[in-house]
Amino acid sequence: MVASLYAFFFIDPWPWWLGGILIGLLVPGLYYFLNTALGVSTGYGNLVKLILPGSRLKWLNSDDYRNVYNWRFFFLAGIVIGGFISARTGGKAWFQWEMGRFTAVLDWSFPLLALWFFAGGLLLGLGARIAQGCTSGHSIHGIANLQKSSIIATVFFLLGGYVTLRIISRFLLGGM
Amino acid sequence: MRRMLIFLLYGVFFGFTLSRVGASDYDLIYALFALTDLKLAWVIITAIIVGHLGMRWLHSRGDLDYLDRPIDIKEKSLNWLTPVGGILFGAGWAMTGACPGTALAQLGEGKMLGLCTVLGIVGGTFLYARLVESGIIIQK
Repeated sequence: MVASLYAFFFIDPWPWWLGGILIGLLVPGLYYFLNTALGVSTGYGNLVKLILPGSRLKWLNSDDYRNVYNWRFFFLAGIVIGGFISARTGGKAWFQWEMGRFTAVLDWSFPLLALWFFAGGLLLGLGARIAQGCTSGHSIHGIANLQKSSIIATVFFLLGGYVTLRIISRFLLGGM
Repeated sequence: MRRMLIFLLYGVFFGFTLSRVGASDYDLIYALFALTDLKLAWVIITAIIVGHLGMRWLHSRGDLDYLDRPIDIKEKSLNWLTPVGGILFGAGWAMTGACPGTALAQLGEGKMLGLCTVLGIVGGTFLYARLVESGIIIQK
């Protein structure tokens, strides 16, 4: 009984409803206990500031980023730790060089793969700031609050993702 | 400092949940956009519904936090940049199989390409700061 409960929570992948409920609870939970709106991508500004502390760029010196070690830094650090704990309890290797179907199908060298994922990250970072939010801030927090900009942003997240995946699938990964 | 520790714990909870439910799994993101396995769509839809019900509960008690301080729910502005950013973000989402939150969870899991995604997002955010500085992007 205890062993199967442990396996359910810490070893096997969770069912969709469990993840959905817990992520959903974060939205009111963050407001109720910390008076804060859920959002991840804004915290990447802290990471930029951490790497370039002397930058004079106005955006990096706005109120949000005056202090690098504000709540966003700790929230993002926690996400990394949470992923770490999950991989340990789930029995994953400490360092994984593959990435699912992408590396299973393509026999690219690691530097080329690194470049691809870095380029995708550039689009994520730039796109999230231009759209003023990401999956957590817009798609979950924003739609849960019925905000129009979040609904529009999410429609375009999904549209961009769908079209891009069709192209990747067609030309790189050999069909759906 | 105690407040920052609580933010850290919220982050641990979020990262652990994202990883356990498979949101940091490249193949599940691929399956989402290929429409072959909609598990992550159900995760997001459930999260939105639960989040919405929680917000209704907060509204019902007058939008106050547990210390009865008013909470501030900011509406993000909607303009022509929203769809532009959305398309760019979606393209990056499909390229990497990650979003800004799950990329951090992947990094914690030990996925080296997840680290590349995280560095890319940092770079993209810096690029945004540069474009704002030079007046190419004017946000509201």
